[in-house]
Amino acid sequence: MRKLFDATFFTLTLLCAVTACGVLLLLVSAILFKGFPALSWHFLTEQIRLVGAEGGIFYNLVGTLILIGTALLVAAPIATGLALTHSVYLRNHRAKRSLELLLFTLNGVPSILFGIFGLIVFVKFLGWGKSWLAGGILLGVMILPTVTVALLERIRMIPRKYIEAAAGLGLSQSQIVRSIILPQSIGGLVTGSLLGLARAAGETAPIMFTATVFAGAALPQSVKESPVLSLPYHIFILAQDSFDPAITTKLWGSAAVLLALVCVLSLIALPLRLKIHEEAQHG
Amino acid sequence: MVELKQVSLPCQPEPISAPILEVRNLTVRAGKRVILQNVSLAIRPNQVFGLIGPSGAGKSTLLKCLNRLAELTPGLQVTGDVLYHGRSIFDRSVDPDHLRTRIGTLFQQPVVFPRSIYQNVIFGIKHVGDIPRRQRMEVAAMALTEAALWDEVKDRLDEPAQRLSVGQQQRLCLARTLASSPEVVLMDEPTSALDPKSTTAIEELIVRLKSNRTVVLVTHNIPQARRVADWLACICVTDNVGQMVETSCCDQMLTSPQCQAVVEYLKHSQG
Repeated sequence: MRKLFDATFFTLTLLCAVTACGVLLLLVSAILFKGFPALSWHFLTEQIRLVGAEGGIFYNLVGTLILIGTALLVAAPIATGLALTHSVYLRNHRAKRSLELLLFTLNGVPSILFGIFGLIVFVKFLGWGKSWLAGGILLGVMILPTVTVALLERIRMIPRKYIEAAAGLGLSQSQIVRSIILPQSIGGLVTGSLLGLARAAGETAPIMFTATVFAGAALPQSVKESPVLSLPYHIFILAQDSFDPAITTKLWGSAAVLLALVCVLSLIALPLRLKIHEEAQHG
Repeated sequence: MVELKQVSLPCQPEPISAPILEVRNLTVRAGKRVILQNVSLAIRPNQVFGLIGPSGAGKSTLLKCLNRLAELTPGLQVTGDVLYHGRSIFDRSVDPDHLRTRIGTLFQQPVVFPRSIYQNVIFGIKHVGDIPRRQRMEVAAMALTEAALWDEVKDRLDEPAQRLSVGQQQRLCLARTLASSPEVVLMDEPTSALDPKSTTAIEELIVRLKSNRTVVLVTHNIPQARRVADWLACICVTDNVGQMVETSCCDQMLTSPQCQAVVEYLKHSQG
């Protein structure tokens, strides 16, 4: 009876794993299969033409890179400050818990709310109009919890003896932060950022009212009224016109490029994560 | 409840110089629990002062109070006073970071940073103090020589410090502490993780350090205390609280202890 239970349990878990992998595989293969005909060097290097039916997605790719680059510049320093506040400067347990709660709440905020918030604050109140900076900031705030939590995990893994030894040598707290805590936890910042950016790259809701347009933008020249093109919004708009077969192919092509971008970001993070696990095991 | 007297007996030759470190009625609490109660002792310059006693009696905690390293452990409250050259280390004008460069620490387990041997030696002086960059190498060489490690590492200063044996790592840690030229070195069972050969090396070093520094040594190892210490204090657990039960010169404590708790402890630790 117990063996039967074990076998059933094993089959069920296996089934869950197979389902997850299967869905992913199906999704990826469908996108690659349908998008492959559109992929070419020209597709990546040409501008959009004929409302997406012709040309490529060069400025969409560039726009998305600008957005996630800005998001990184926004999220990394704030996350570092937050993580240090949490693990070094805050001594009160309740204050630490509140900060964690805040991060988890922020992580749970639906992305469309970021879009609405950005519309009200940046586009309307600050009068920026649609701007790459607004989108970058919103995406940065959105991935803040991911980056901070990854950094916190890494700081938690720093052996306490290092900090004691450094203090024993007369280093002040800020010197310990600079010479021990930051160098030892930089891996967490990198992996957290990459995972966060992989998510940010595909977000449509936070940028559709605030930072991106479908056509008619290239490189931004200033902050105000300077939107960018972006991959997710491009896909979103094309999907609404997908009755045209030429557009459909371009749509799947764009999806494949976005998927590749996200995969690359996750894959860069992978060896770093593995290395960190290894270090943790070897002390 | 047995009332235990703190016994302090005159030894020959009695140290007469003014104490470099003086502990007065030191009590340490962790929350409501009292770890150490009313410890008073005087540590004189250029001697090896041994702290002995059973595990968990609070010897390491006492050691950590001497350069305010205990403050880094959340929840520890220290009352009483520690005088360094006659001045309270808890005084507002005392910078704890600077204090720790004067009163250095060697931990039980060697703690080398994941960097090169050279970077480990200069770790303290690089961040603290005003030694010019071009003199760092010189200071590192001197510290490594003092820690009897120079000959073994002089050709591979750029190698990762983790490649050294544990005994070498401990001497590297000692060199790192000595590089900031502290007046007092606190050692918390520095040989308990080491093999006999490295233990001998560290013990010889401790004796040599005495010529220009003061050493406070926590040890479990009575033969070691006999070999290196000049003066001993025994911390025992009485009524669930760590207390200093006896202090005297090394010979007297080990041959004719006055306090029953010390007699018991010595009997157990020597088998």
